[in-house]
Amino acid sequence: MMRYLRLYRQFLSFSFSRSLEYRLDFWFRIVMDCMFYAVEIAFFMVIYRHTELLGDWTFDQTFVFVCGFLLVDAIHMTVFSNNMWWLPIYVNKGDLDYYLVRPVSSLFFLSLRDFAANSFLNLIIASGLLTWALLRYPEPIPASNLLWYLFLLLNGAILHYTMQMFFLIPVFWLHSNRGLTNAFFSTTKLGERPDKIYSKWTRRVLLFVFPLLLMVAIPARVLFEGPSLSMIGMTLGISGLFFLLMVGFWNFALKHYSSASS
Amino acid sequence: MNPALFLHLMSIESRRLLSYRVDFWLTMVVSLIVQVIVVWALWTAVFAESGRDIVGGWDLHGILAYGIFVFLMGRIVRGGDLQMEVATEIYDGSLSRYLIYPCNYGLTKYAQQLGNIFPDILQSFLMALIVLPFMGTSTTVDLNFTGILMSLPSLLCAHLLFYIMGLIPQMVAFWADNVWSLSVMMRMVTMLLGGGALPLSLFPEPLQTLLAWMPFRYLFEFPTLVLLGKVGLEEWITGLAICLAWCVVFLLLTIPVWRRGTLRYTGVGI
Repeated sequence: MMRYLRLYRQFLSFSFSRSLEYRLDFWFRIVMDCMFYAVEIAFFMVIYRHTELLGDWTFDQTFVFVCGFLLVDAIHMTVFSNNMWWLPIYVNKGDLDYYLVRPVSSLFFLSLRDFAANSFLNLIIASGLLTWALLRYPEPIPASNLLWYLFLLLNGAILHYTMQMFFLIPVFWLHSNRGLTNAFFSTTKLGERPDKIYSKWTRRVLLFVFPLLLMVAIPARVLFEGPSLSMIGMTLGISGLFFLLMVGFWNFALKHYSSASS
Repeated sequence: MNPALFLHLMSIESRRLLSYRVDFWLTMVVSLIVQVIVVWALWTAVFAESGRDIVGGWDLHGILAYGIFVFLMGRIVRGGDLQMEVATEIYDGSLSRYLIYPCNYGLTKYAQQLGNIFPDILQSFLMALIVLPFMGTSTTVDLNFTGILMSLPSLLCAHLLFYIMGLIPQMVAFWADNVWSLSVMMRMVTMLLGGGALPLSLFPEPLQTLLAWMPFRYLFEFPTLVLLGKVGLEEWITGLAICLAWCVVFLLLTIPVWRRGTLRYTGVGI
């Protein structure tokens, strides 16, 4: 475990040095993410001009939900996103060989190697937005609700990574996974809306089959309605199951990897 | 540029896009299903919880039709895979070969963009035919043959405007290494302010007045409103003229950036 932590510290140090080489891009990316945050919040502000409630939630609740989503997205952009971008390229070019021969888990190395230092500032901004949303929330929030909420958001970021890996791993067989990657980014839109707007069956699919609602919407319910064993158990159980399935899928794919131009 | 060459470039690009058929269809089908689910769930909830029959000049079926058609139109307007082509060619040095060709670089890229959108138009048309029977009747939209015919020139003008607007952020690549963030930013802003995410009639009045003076609404909202029969003939002609005027404005802004950029361009690539 300590060896992996030391390795991750090296990843961080290397990523920060490299990102400062491209200073203009560093700032462009920060502005881009801020623009994304503004667009997401503006979308719901416009919607709430025409209704008091959306999926049982008031604007204050939806604002917390949206900021939670922005935080999960910022964690993903900072920790995983660059690595997800490079993975299909490594597989197609055969560069994966260099990572398979290292004495550490290839999944760990390839998923966490490139820390997006420029998005790290956005992670701070997204955290600030969530803090603001929580502070302006008119009802008192018990500490236990808040702690579970933050923990489940972190779990949501890992679930986001897990789900994306399911769409990336087929590159071992398909060569081009652009269609699958586009499909993944389209589907994540389903998790950006309050869960109660969906019909019963759509909601079930989005909870158990393709659990996008577990990333942000269910953690927000835990915050507003209090932690319940069923909600927390379901979220952690399904997330854990999907993670194990993803690791199994990764190992299965590695067995079919035939190196360069596979 | 020779029209035959222009058509040839379009044809090559269309065939290139169709060479990855699984990607082409998968992206469309999944995105459309998600869009239908999200639009249906969102607007059903808004109408149910507000208790109103009309929101921002739309009834439920009307706004659902808007949500689906603006998505199909938006894909065409944005022009698919080539949104970062100019920046990539500047960055990796492959622009050099175009500079020595005896044809205009902007027109070459535009021909490729047009070739890229024709398969999208056919695909969107097919998807619209599949979705249409499931749409309910609306009192606020009038989908008819005239609207479909009028929407085609509006769509092509919108695409031209999006292409020209996208050139300046891409040409920043003459000065910076990586500019994809600028193109993504442009896409996000135009989607919201151009009506790609929501009809602009839902926005606050002062913002609607401001947006009427800006080019964004001609990208997504205008062609969709034309298709849905919400734009009269006179307004349509005025809209097309304003859209083309914005194309000229952005083209005039692009020329000096291109000239300064090419002076700086070393052609080394990565």
